[in-house]
Amino acid sequence: MPHYVYGIVGADKKPPSVRGIADARLKLVAGDGAAALVSDLPAGEVRLGRAEMLTHARVLEKALAHGTVLPMRFGVVMSDHDEIRERLIDEHADDLSVQLSEFDGKVEIRIRAVYEEEALFREVVRADPKIAALRRSMGGQPEDATYYARIELGERVAAGVERKRERDANEIIGALAAVALAVDEGKTGHERIAVNASFLVERDRIAEFDKVLDAIAEARGGRIKFKYTGPLPPHSFVQLAGSA
Amino acid sequence: MSALGSSFPRSGYVSRSNSSGLADVLDVLLDKGLVIDIFLRVSLVGIELLTVDARIVIASVDTYLRFAEAVNRLDIGNSEGEGLPQLIEDMTQDGASSKTKGILEGAKESLFGSSGGEDEDEDDSNGSSSSGSSSRRSRSGSSGSSASSGSRSRARKSSSSRGRSS
Repeated sequence: MPHYVYGIVGADKKPPSVRGIADARLKLVAGDGAAALVSDLPAGEVRLGRAEMLTHARVLEKALAHGTVLPMRFGVVMSDHDEIRERLIDEHADDLSVQLSEFDGKVEIRIRAVYEEEALFREVVRADPKIAALRRSMGGQPEDATYYARIELGERVAAGVERKRERDANEIIGALAAVALAVDEGKTGHERIAVNASFLVERDRIAEFDKVLDAIAEARGGRIKFKYTGPLPPHSFVQLAGSA
Repeated sequence: MSALGSSFPRSGYVSRSNSSGLADVLDVLLDKGLVIDIFLRVSLVGIELLTVDARIVIASVDTYLRFAEAVNRLDIGNSEGEGLPQLIEDMTQDGASSKTKGILEGAKESLFGSSGGEDEDEDDSNGSSSSGSSSRRSRSGSSGSSASSGSRSRARKSSSSRGRSS
């Protein structure tokens, strides 16, 4: 019977009491020093979508409340107990036990910082007098007459946004990193996103981390809004040797 | 989870969620965490659509024109404070504004909307947004059949691309 694998916990743990994917009971497949937190999957084609992802996240959240958990990436399915023991727990025994102790008492907190659009552009204009000058020079002209001028203006704005993002990201990540053990910077992607990063934080220092974030947010007076997700298991910081 | 959190007052500019605010951790769940063999990850239905929010290109004429438009709408005269409330209202109704929101939320909705991952086309057009237009495509417009019939191959494709990138 195929098994869905949520994560790795200490061999002495008990499975959380919540239900897993497909409403299956959670169980542990224990090996030497570590155990895989799994649940049975119905045989046949396995489809994993939104609901399953939510379950994956909730199971890990519960497990984290009971102690250290090394989260698997979403979507790992293994065929049976033997395979789980051999290919996951035994084959990676050293790696897993090192990380189980390394991440003991540590959680991931994910921070996304998003500019308020109007404030972003306003600050960019203020920082580059040429933008205002360009704008003035286009005043009163019909749209098609200013096509290239608008591109030039937009280009300057884009450059200004980029500079600003870089500066803000450095400041924000720098300040938060000072109260974290590690940082994993993700892609920001969109121009309004200044920071999209995960921080590895000791549970004892979450309050301190939060306080620093509060201060950063207040100092920016709402020009940047922050989205705080966590505490999560250390998704962004675990890794097995030789895997992607 | 609140047991792990702290309880002192927070800035009004910080919104919090744990993993049940799933939209914020999707990229983490999909791209981070232990994985032993990429091929063991099976049919992730429609989930690769999430990667669209990383696809916005800042250096494009469309973006420049949109930025120019946004800046031209700013009141940067001497009475900066006065123009502000009106301006904010303008910006919220502005096409550029709703479009950027669309980009951020589009990926979420593709997964978390009631109809699941059906709007691949839409996300494509979101990525290459044209200036000024305030039209956001209706999310119920496209058919869901293509997503489900194509899910197998697309899931495989996305798995392998993740494998390369990490």
